[in-house]
Amino acid sequence: MTVLYILIPLGLLLLGGAVWAFFWAVGSGQFDDLDTPAVRVIMDDDDKPDAGKDT
Amino acid sequence: MTTCFHCALPLTRIDRYQVEIDGVWRPVCCPGCKAVAELIRDSGMTNYYAMRENPLPGVVRPADTNDDWQVYDRDDMLAAYATRVGDAAEATIYVGAMYCAACSWLIESTLTNVAGIEIVEVSPVTHQLRVRFDPDRIRLGGILSNLAHLGYKPQPLAYDNASRPELVEQRTALKRLMVASLGMMQVTMFAVALYAGEFQGIDARMQRFLRLVSFVVTTPVVLYSARPFFSAAWRGIVSRVPGMDLPVALAIGAAYVASVYAMMTNGPAVWFDSVTMFVFFLTLGRFLEMRARHRAIDRSTALTSMLPNTATRLDGDTRRIVPVSQLVAGDRLLIRPGESIPADGVLVDGETTLDEALLTGETVPRPKAPGDIVAAGSINLDGMIRIRVENTGADTVLGTISRLSERARYSRPAFVQLADRIASYIVVALLVIAAAVATYWHFNAPERAFVITLSVLVVTCPCALALATPAAFAAAGTRLADLRLLVTNGNAIEALARATCVLFDKTGTLTRGVPVIVSTQVFNQSIDAQDCLKIAAALETVSTHPIASAFVVGDDPAAPADQQLVIGRGVAGTIDGRRWKLGTHDFVVGGESRSAVDESSTTSVYLGAAGRALAVFHLADEIRPDAQNTLQRLRGLGLKNALVSGDSAAPVRRVADALSITPYHFGCSPADKLTIIRTLQDQGETVAMVGDGINDAPVLAGADVSIAPSHGALLAQTSADVIMLGDSLAPVATAVRMARKTMRVVRQNLAWAIVYNATALPLAALGHVPPWAAAIGMSASSLIVVLNALRLTRYD
Repeated sequence: MTVLYILIPLGLLLLGGAVWAFFWAVGSGQFDDLDTPAVRVIMDDDDKPDAGKDT
Repeated sequence: MTTCFHCALPLTRIDRYQVEIDGVWRPVCCPGCKAVAELIRDSGMTNYYAMRENPLPGVVRPADTNDDWQVYDRDDMLAAYATRVGDAAEATIYVGAMYCAACSWLIESTLTNVAGIEIVEVSPVTHQLRVRFDPDRIRLGGILSNLAHLGYKPQPLAYDNASRPELVEQRTALKRLMVASLGMMQVTMFAVALYAGEFQGIDARMQRFLRLVSFVVTTPVVLYSARPFFSAAWRGIVSRVPGMDLPVALAIGAAYVASVYAMMTNGPAVWFDSVTMFVFFLTLGRFLEMRARHRAIDRSTALTSMLPNTATRLDGDTRRIVPVSQLVAGDRLLIRPGESIPADGVLVDGETTLDEALLTGETVPRPKAPGDIVAAGSINLDGMIRIRVENTGADTVLGTISRLSERARYSRPAFVQLADRIASYIVVALLVIAAAVATYWHFNAPERAFVITLSVLVVTCPCALALATPAAFAAAGTRLADLRLLVTNGNAIEALARATCVLFDKTGTLTRGVPVIVSTQVFNQSIDAQDCLKIAAALETVSTHPIASAFVVGDDPAAPADQQLVIGRGVAGTIDGRRWKLGTHDFVVGGESRSAVDESSTTSVYLGAAGRALAVFHLADEIRPDAQNTLQRLRGLGLKNALVSGDSAAPVRRVADALSITPYHFGCSPADKLTIIRTLQDQGETVAMVGDGINDAPVLAGADVSIAPSHGALLAQTSADVIMLGDSLAPVATAVRMARKTMRVVRQNLAWAIVYNATALPLAALGHVPPWAAAIGMSASSLIVVLNALRLTRYD
């Protein structure tokens, strides 16, 4: 069980890294829009302008 | 009712304007919506219609402004509104009338395809667009007109996007939530190990180590994530109005300090897991509440979106189009018919009628002559006028009303919630009891004193009490949003449940706010009412006056020849060789000028030819179809009704009689309305105010709880506690019922929490509850409270 004395602090270090990365992402504005990404994936961007008119 | 495919406004006729989308002909309400829908279709973005949330009627309807975006092409505008980033320029644009994620998708997709635009970022939270573009390939004006063509109302901003208070708040809240959730998961993991150790035995060193790492993870959760609770609790103590946050802060603080103490002294148990879980759930609740609030409140639009973007300034003899932000007192402006007034001022030249509905709630336009004062936000209906600017921006009447409502919001006595009062008493009582228990055991069995005291503190931790109200309110808020009601203020539900009296505004609330023909009287046998209406409709094609909208008949009428518009009096035109006149009695029969409006309950519009009146149309503001039903449901719930209106006696009486509302008050200024509310409150009534219109904003803020229809002026929404989405009054009654149900659940929750604490306390005080059982009991009691609250999400 002594391995826990190393693994848990290691886990906390990773946790700290994750929190730091998240703070950076929030600060750079990546989380400013919480609504659009949820629906963006189901929006088709491949409808070409004037599709079905010129072709 | 059929609604416009693009902007969702109710349609009077479905065959007037249509757009083919995905092979189906869709009805739209106006050429503006038609143009936007066609543009969206032709750019291959019809997905927008499938993906967007149901729009509030009219929100996305393109404005009929004559805004001239070319003014923003000038280099001084670029310098004022954009910053240079290398060769590119970057600008922040406020996008009015944007309301959901599909809107930001539409804007991003459209602008990205425009040559010269490099980066487009839209934030639905702040309704702002950050765009980076090459000023040599596209000018600012081009970007703005692109947005305007999509039906949005763009406004370039001179300040930085990142400093917006909503955005800062959201970013901070996200960070707090993330720290709390990660911390909660980690600490819970360690806690499982510690609890298992309680049963199976655990190495003392390992136990100390696990407690230490729990402490390390919990500390940032308490110091960072839970900081808003501590500061709010402190503010409550300082202002002697202890809020909901005081027991919360005490519980978090006490459990944390006790755990730290237990960790250092190798005590029997630590409660870091309870602390983090508690903080996480509370932070999550606050976060969701904040998101709902941001969605509903859009303060930045309140003032600016009602003013035009540009104005025509007269510099000597030259006309120059300038942004409204550059106007100063003393400027002379030219205002064309159909434009809105950009600043307060004095009319110096020309005659017109102004629609001041936004400011006064009056549906009847006011005639204005040189020397009269004109207010920003009113709409110039029919004459070309020149005005001298007196006040701009925040100094205008519009700005003052907006400030007034802000002040009324802040001066509202902070309502101490039922749960708050009970919880804070209980917290104090528990602390006293814990101290007494500690003293007793200290003298009788000193070795058990600490364990028992901790058990008492944990088992009676007012978590369930603290959660009882917010959990129910959060669940109710979700359910109300499903029912098309947005709650923007936590006190609203509680106040709504207590409400004893509902005060209604008239125009735009009980009525639709647009005139309709209620009766037609024909004086001459040679013509029938239908023909009269057709002639009137044809004559009114020239007019932009609100009354003209009442005259709509089956076919698109052909415009008569030789049309003439006499401001404030009527219209004339030649149809089939005959000269017709439509307007005031004197205008039609040819006499002295008289006011366009008589003082009866209806507005009379005469139709005549050759100096003789042939028919008269009586116009009145139409009462909403669901008003009667809603009022009956409210009376059924035991609520009194009253009507307050700024309108004159006759129309108010007509509506009051039709809906049998008593008492009713007419001719009320906002101050009068506020006095009526104060009087009712002094009589012990809890007043709910339903109204829209800017002039009602201070009134809404003064009522115990306020409800605004979403089609009302934006400012009224910002001070309203509850916003009804959709074009219906029925949600008022639903909201009251839901609020009462919510308060029932809150009372059940509080009762359960009190019963639990009352049973657990004596057991723990007598030393029958080990700390681990105390922790389980505390969590279970909280869970029951949450589950009970969740029932509200299925209530209908």
